[in-house]
Amino acid sequence: MRDTLRQSMALFHTWSGLLLGWLLFAMFATGTAAYFQDEITRWMQPEVAGDANPALAAQGAVRFLNTVAPDGQSWYITLPNSRSATTQVYWQPSASKPAPRGETSAVLDRDGNRITTRETRGGFFLYRFHFDLHYMPVLWARYLVGIAAMFMLVAIISGVITHKKIFADFFMLRFGKGQRSWLDAHNVTAVLALPFHLMITFTGLVTLASMYMPWGIAANYAAPTAFYEAVFGRAVAAEPTGKRVPLADLGPLVSAASNRWNGQRVGYISIANPNDAAARIDMTRSPEASFGARGETASFDGATGRLIGAHDANGAALATESVMIGLHTGRFAKWGLRWLYFLSGLGGTIMVGSGLVLWTVKRRARLPDPSRPHLGFRMVERLNIAAIAGLATGIAVYFLANRLLPLDMASRAEREIDSLFLAWLGIGLWGMIRPARRAWTETLAIAGACFAAVPVINALTTSRGLLPSLLAGDWTFVAFDLVMLVLAAGFAMAAVRSAKVRTKANAGQGSRTRRAAQKVTSA
Amino acid sequence: MKPRSGTIGRGEIAARLLAAIPGNYLLTSLATACLARLLWQGLGVDPANASVAATLTSFLLFAVLALVAFGVRSAGRLWLWLAGSGLLLGAGLWISLMAGARL
Repeated sequence: MRDTLRQSMALFHTWSGLLLGWLLFAMFATGTAAYFQDEITRWMQPEVAGDANPALAAQGAVRFLNTVAPDGQSWYITLPNSRSATTQVYWQPSASKPAPRGETSAVLDRDGNRITTRETRGGFFLYRFHFDLHYMPVLWARYLVGIAAMFMLVAIISGVITHKKIFADFFMLRFGKGQRSWLDAHNVTAVLALPFHLMITFTGLVTLASMYMPWGIAANYAAPTAFYEAVFGRAVAAEPTGKRVPLADLGPLVSAASNRWNGQRVGYISIANPNDAAARIDMTRSPEASFGARGETASFDGATGRLIGAHDANGAALATESVMIGLHTGRFAKWGLRWLYFLSGLGGTIMVGSGLVLWTVKRRARLPDPSRPHLGFRMVERLNIAAIAGLATGIAVYFLANRLLPLDMASRAEREIDSLFLAWLGIGLWGMIRPARRAWTETLAIAGACFAAVPVINALTTSRGLLPSLLAGDWTFVAFDLVMLVLAAGFAMAAVRSAKVRTKANAGQGSRTRRAAQKVTSA
Repeated sequence: MKPRSGTIGRGEIAARLLAAIPGNYLLTSLATACLARLLWQGLGVDPANASVAATLTSFLLFAVLALVAFGVRSAGRLWLWLAGSGLLLGAGLWISLMAGARL
């Protein structure tokens, strides 16, 4: 019984890991980058510098919204946090003046001026891609991502069952031993950060729980809106009266809300019926201010600025959910913990990637004719190249495009994103037409070269290159460039290693005796 | 991977896959709804917390059931268990919804 269980787990682990591994790799890689999404956005907006004050930013946002949509149905303002410098605004235009999608949002600097040069979605795009994907309806993407995450959860548990010697694996990383090394890499990255992987997968499912498992809410509430009202405390907006009353000054209200929450920042403001007698302002505490992601809210009468209600969802389950989402997004994390999050995420990315490679390495040895593998094997091999080297190159090209595309280009932000996918596609095609082993070396080298080019191009196109940033003590820019160089070195090393493996494989029998001799001397 | 001693037929794999994914989702959904009802109506937890507690539990339940679907020896017995507990939970949920309306 035990053995059949372990066998069926191994089977499940191998095949579900393979089928969803490509998607999971992309989710892990971009999700890991998202821990630094604010820093990435800062790097991608080199014209914007300095820090922003939430109260002043809110006032600036209202000035801007009053010029573009004074009679809008609602305004939404995401205030800068302690790591970012820009304000994001969305508005719903008045019913009589509909505006096309994409023309109802803007990124503002700390004074409320729209940032028009070098339009970019910055790190926010990588964050959204890790669960919304791109070029496809968001709903589909989220279901797909949810399925992958659920398989991941099952794969982790089955992985633990599959590996009898899980704690021995913990200390075992043998380099240069072919399949054994890939298995070691897979195990070490999996086991070392096992609590992180379990946590991140489970909490990831929780962030979109009401979508994947709506039946817990449906069992108690006939309409989900009643549930959200109970949890978020947002009443359904009143009908506008049609009587124009200018909106109360947001500056003092932001300070008042912040004082209510022991000085924690306001993160998010939504305004229903702005500039109407029935205006209503809802402020939500910034998610970075505490473990729990779901912040307390405070509501104000928009015309008079009077506090009309405050809400703090309580109860054990809601608090647990809120902390789980907080743990997943890590917005509360200060520098040390943030880097740990990033490294754990990198470990997860390597775990998924090495698992994918392991699938081919393990099977290559058992192929009837290793020089001419069957179609399925070839497809997996090519898709691995596209998924791993392709995405890496794509992300590097995304950063390069940010520096190289004309500053005032139309829909520039979209073109940056297109560049990412074009590069990804290009590497995928390259992997298809070249011999597989050669393609690995070449595409890894291209990825490394692209990452290495980022700091160079940055220094050539902006005044915030590595050296000036270092002299100015601008650690965000310094760290960004350094991470690019480390990634470049990592991919270059991987390319060199894969080239060595290739020559070894070509040398065949002769080298096997040499390796045996090496083994004796190293022992 | 070593060759398995007992060969598993395609039919059996299909039966287990159907149990592990759609069957599992149906059963987990029923269990989640029942738990949400039970916590609220039965144990006096406020409805929002009852719903969220049940939802949080559901992912664990789904993962465990998925593994069980591949772990148990007989696919026939697996389906018998699935159908049996599904009927039981469905009946419980129906009675609960008849007894007290939703918000």
